[in-house]
Amino acid sequence: MKRLGITVAAAALIFFAGYAALFIAPDESTMHAIQRVFYVHLPLWMVMYSALTVAFIANIAWLATRQIKWDWLGVSAVEVGVVACTGGLATGVLWGKPAWGIWWTWDARLTTAFLLWLLYIAYLLLRGLLEDPERRATLSAIFGIFAFLDAPLVYASNRLWRTQHPAPVIFGGDNSGLNPTMGKVLVICILAMLPVMILLLVDRYRLERMRHEVEELRLAVEARAADSNPAVTRSTA
Amino acid sequence: MKNFNFLFAAWMVVWAVFFVYEFSIASRLARLQEEIERLKQQLRER
Amino acid sequence: MSTTRSAAILLAKELRLEFRTRELLTGTVIFVLVVIVLFSFAFDPTAADSRRYGPGLLWIAFLFAGSLMLHPSFAREQANQTLDALRMAPISAFAILLGKMLANFIFLAIAEIVLVPVFAVLYNVPLTGVAGRLALVLGLGTLGLVITGTVFSAVSAHARMRELLLPLLLLPILAPLLIAAVEATASLFAEQPALDRTWLTFLGGFDIVFLTASWLLCDFLLEE
Repeated sequence: MKRLGITVAAAALIFFAGYAALFIAPDESTMHAIQRVFYVHLPLWMVMYSALTVAFIANIAWLATRQIKWDWLGVSAVEVGVVACTGGLATGVLWGKPAWGIWWTWDARLTTAFLLWLLYIAYLLLRGLLEDPERRATLSAIFGIFAFLDAPLVYASNRLWRTQHPAPVIFGGDNSGLNPTMGKVLVICILAMLPVMILLLVDRYRLERMRHEVEELRLAVEARAADSNPAVTRSTA
Repeated sequence: MKNFNFLFAAWMVVWAVFFVYEFSIASRLARLQEEIERLKQQLRER
Repeated sequence: MSTTRSAAILLAKELRLEFRTRELLTGTVIFVLVVIVLFSFAFDPTAADSRRYGPGLLWIAFLFAGSLMLHPSFAREQANQTLDALRMAPISAFAILLGKMLANFIFLAIAEIVLVPVFAVLYNVPLTGVAGRLALVLGLGTLGLVITGTVFSAVSAHARMRELLLPLLLLPILAPLLIAAVEATASLFAEQPALDRTWLTFLGGFDIVFLTASWLLCDFLLEE
């Protein structure tokens, strides 16, 4: 029931946000329609950074408490973060071409985003290649912590490097002096994206928890089978 | 509106990404739910 | 037993083990040589071009070689489960990690000492006057590579597809190190060589951050 309520609220917010982004927000003078992608582009980055921060905290919590639920939260948050990052990169590319004539440039923000995408995909890959659940949780938590610590270093090094090798200035213009109507529409869009992301996070967490439950049930069934017939050889799960 | 086709493409991409992800989670959830019911049934029988 | 003493003993063991066959060292040196030669086909190595692209190529070659060379660090321990024996000894987990990090550092350093002069000759890059400062940059950069690489060798040792996984995990993390090392090296290859202090500090900072993280997480890294 609660879930239905949240879904309906999310749908309403999305509808309103979409309307606001397309019709209420003023037209931007140089880029016109494509600038409106900003209203979904920026919230996606905010979601990504929040999700990766949640993952970092979950990684530390797993190592500190050994409660498997933190591992579930960790992987869910990373996946949501990667999804948001993919969306951010895609919208960024589709914004760049019409607005500045180039699909991509290696400025600090874009490079950091791309590298974070690669880092956290590596995290997911690592998990896929580790089988024992406890070891998988521990080792991926360690990698996750290293990745999160690396993120500001990636940004700083690229920023420093770019001041020495300047690239076309792209994001300088937008946020300086944001039109108040644009600001309000942006807030609405962020508020609309939040429940969507929380829903994804919660569902993914439930998926991990269910996987765990299935494993436990399987072991229980096997244990029951072995008890009732001691001669039966156990097959490996 | 100028540049509308790119805006539309961006909008579609974002929705596609969300929906594919949510759909993959939802279908896996459904399958696991079935598996859980099946295993619980097995435990009840024995 | 103190951490430093146990690390030193483990370092001696690693060195003795490697110098018996020297296969890892030889393999690494030859691999980097091959990469250096291949790079010469990718662009025309005039003196000016070499100054521009040389640092980048050199560091990419070392990164690739490093990530291949670091893999056996913990993978070796799996054959006879020698890591369990190490864990049972009265030494801290950090000592085990430190011993391996130092050993890997020495191996890579040896490879670099051999390869940098070769590179300088093949690409006409003058090293006179900057050798000391170059050694500092190489040292700090290699240290960062070895610190993260040894940790990730332990992480990937338990996974499938270990040989491919290690570079996949390591190279993105090392991106800031690559930028800093390349820029610092480039400042030394320039017409008027002057060591860039900012990038040098950045390298030092990178090393400190990840060494600290390794120290904090080492128990979890090496647990059963």
